[in-house]
Amino acid sequence: MGAHGLRRITIAALLVVVGLPMAMIGMQAVFPEIAAGRLGTPFAALGPVLQDPRLPQLVWNTLKLAAGVVLLSAAIGIPLGVLRGWFRIPMAPLWDLLLLVPFLIPPYIAAMGWILFLQPAGYWQQLTGWHAGGFLFSFPGVVFVMTLNVFPVVYFAVSRGVASAGGRLADVARVCGAPPWQALWRITLPLAAPAMAASLLLAFAMSIEEYGTPAVLAANAGFFVLVTGIESRLSEWPIDLPGAAVMSLILVALALTVFSLQRRLLRGRDFETIGGKPAAAAQRELGAWRWPVLLIFAIVVALATLAPLFAIAATAFSRTLSGGLAAGNLGLDHFRAIFTEGSAALRAFGLSIGLGLAAALLAGILGAAVAYVASRPAQRGGRWLDALSALPNTLPGVVVAVGLILLWNQPFLPFTPYNTVAILLLAYVCLLLPYPVRYSQAALRQVAGNLEAAARVHGAGVYRALWSIVLPLIWPSVLAAMVLVFAVASRELVASLLLAPAGLQTVSVFVWRQFEQGSVGQGMAVSLLTILATGGLILAALHTLRRLQRT
Amino acid sequence: MQTISSVRGLAGAGLLALGLAVATPATALTVYSAGPAPLIDALAAGFTKLSGEPVSVFQGTTGKVFARLEAEAANPQADIVISASWDSAVDLDQRGWLMPYTSPNAASVSDAYKAPTYVAQGLSALALVWNTKSGTPRPADWSDLTADAFRDKVNLPDPAQSGTALELLAGLVSAQGDKAWQLMSELRRNGAAVAGANAAALNPVLQGAKAAVFGAVDYVAFGQKAKGEAIEVIFPSSGTVIAPRPMMILKSTAKPEQAKAFIDYVLSGAGQAEVAKVYLIPATADVPAQRPGLADIPLLESASAAQGGTPPATDRATLLREFDKAFGR
Repeated sequence: MGAHGLRRITIAALLVVVGLPMAMIGMQAVFPEIAAGRLGTPFAALGPVLQDPRLPQLVWNTLKLAAGVVLLSAAIGIPLGVLRGWFRIPMAPLWDLLLLVPFLIPPYIAAMGWILFLQPAGYWQQLTGWHAGGFLFSFPGVVFVMTLNVFPVVYFAVSRGVASAGGRLADVARVCGAPPWQALWRITLPLAAPAMAASLLLAFAMSIEEYGTPAVLAANAGFFVLVTGIESRLSEWPIDLPGAAVMSLILVALALTVFSLQRRLLRGRDFETIGGKPAAAAQRELGAWRWPVLLIFAIVVALATLAPLFAIAATAFSRTLSGGLAAGNLGLDHFRAIFTEGSAALRAFGLSIGLGLAAALLAGILGAAVAYVASRPAQRGGRWLDALSALPNTLPGVVVAVGLILLWNQPFLPFTPYNTVAILLLAYVCLLLPYPVRYSQAALRQVAGNLEAAARVHGAGVYRALWSIVLPLIWPSVLAAMVLVFAVASRELVASLLLAPAGLQTVSVFVWRQFEQGSVGQGMAVSLLTILATGGLILAALHTLRRLQRT
Repeated sequence: MQTISSVRGLAGAGLLALGLAVATPATALTVYSAGPAPLIDALAAGFTKLSGEPVSVFQGTTGKVFARLEAEAANPQADIVISASWDSAVDLDQRGWLMPYTSPNAASVSDAYKAPTYVAQGLSALALVWNTKSGTPRPADWSDLTADAFRDKVNLPDPAQSGTALELLAGLVSAQGDKAWQLMSELRRNGAAVAGANAAALNPVLQGAKAAVFGAVDYVAFGQKAKGEAIEVIFPSSGTVIAPRPMMILKSTAKPEQAKAFIDYVLSGAGQAEVAKVYLIPATADVPAQRPGLADIPLLESASAAQGGTPPATDRATLLREFDKAFGR
């Protein structure tokens, strides 16, 4: 088995994990009766959806929201990432961890936290007498909250890209007499462009696909987007699967347009920086600028991490919401309830952690393989692989869930992962595959093909060259992506709600059920424990990552 | 490559945890139920204890339950469905999905809350939920929320997202006609907000951002009150609607006898006691409610209010359109 074997396995896996469920959604859009196993009345669902007078408004709102989130994420994530990658920032691992926390907080929990924090009579008003309900329940408010969830993806990609892109080349520029800012501006930033573009594309896809924040905040603001329209077709009686599928295809079309735009921008350029023995990039000293930079990091962390965490913790430790922030209202009641209510919460927790780890591993392997197969210029069809692997990122989780049910609940299948925990794993790998693909791709663009060729010339097989040359060079990026996959998979809600096999629940589903019954405090208590635990696990992984970078 | 092997170890542990988590017996009686989760968990456990028959539960909102049913239509997985929306049962019945069954224990269920293929598990009513520390006067009827004291202080669940809110809207319109729409317009003028589904409308009232919910599902609020939240559940003097929660057996079930036994159990004294425990009104008349019962709740004078049902889908669309118009959405 040579290079073709790897290529074939990768394509087959990608088709099963992503291609077939997507195809089922396409089929559902065309054949409204396919869920019942019939192909009658084709195209009947297209008309009513496309002629819906609200559709243009939904599309416009979606684009407006995504543009706002991408711009604000770039404004926060790029400067912060460049600072982190270029300079030696005091306590850098701590900032990394704190900026990872927004990923660990499920978006709908973060949005609820912001509501509890900023609404009239919320915690901020209880503390200072001011509230910002007007801002929160408005378009800028939705962009603000969503950006705080999304920008870390830009920050991490840019800081990694800048650190590895052209540390050495920039040093060469310095030796040749360029002042430091010029070396950064002319050498490092252009070389980190793939990382920036890839992460902004992710941010765009995340913001058109994300359901939690618009659902919690935007409904109050009267601001509806495509994904809320899709969700309502899938959760309000009468259920409209075909209509939801058609609207999902509109989302996919939007994302593919931006995707091809990104490819065009980066096409024909060469970003290779690792052409030989990798050297540890020496980071520059900040000097007197240390304090202002630290202040910037502190402000961003306070907004993105500490504020929602505070609201979550305050709610978890309050006996009642109506009691407010008062000494007499503090208590461990909600935590006690979790542990006395039987092992349901703990079992849910174990399931989520297990699923998160398994999803990170599988998505990491498949993602790196897809990126590798798609990146080698000799391969035809790399563009299609690339596009296919990006698709799930543009689809709301609930739609992917429907695609998986349509695919795996066919009566003629001899065996099926449906109604077992494996269906959740499939869903997470499908939904989160874009992270490792994007991250590996950005890393692969910087690895010169001649390194691999050199290994082959010296007699190493395809796999040997991959294992000993390519993988070690892209490993930090793959591991970083796997950490993200773990963080998001262990808290995924939207697909889990629909796919959870009878009798099983993940942590996010458990929490959400608490909210549905009005037990905000208990839900927040479980959320807090989960954030701390997954944060601890990721801390361990980041520690490994750091050790790896040093060696 | 020490790191790679340690990551491998972690992943191995993850896969092991997954393996342990798959403990659901494939042959269990499968129930898809709308909330509350503690109720269906208790009913499943009680039934298993009584009959030795394992039950596996999928619990979600009515919307999620039905989205899953629709997506599974080619190969139905559920044996029993418990919904929070009476209409959903009427709809499935019309589509011929349901198996007729009249439980002997349904004898004391009022005729309004049963049909040949479905029967109420329990009942809830729609109420005003008022924060007693909000500094507003205690409201006694729907129209009190249009007073100046409640300016910008009222939440309504969105009838597009909450089946029960739609039932209330339908009940008000069919009992009061144009007066109901006038009430909606006045609420809007008074700054009332349409705030997502039921939980999303209630939470701001608990913290005090809003003073009252117009049309909250009562049992959730009673549960919160029992936990010490400073709220009162008020049944408006001009009347409200009852929302019965239908349970039904799917025709496609491979376990009809066990499914029937489950329905019998839910309608038994023990099952209805569990229903009462989560502050729903029991469906059978002989089990007392742990909260104001049917006799204590003034009802709107309209057929649909007493039946709990909403008008057909065409009217649903019209109602939602009119509602959106009244709220300028």
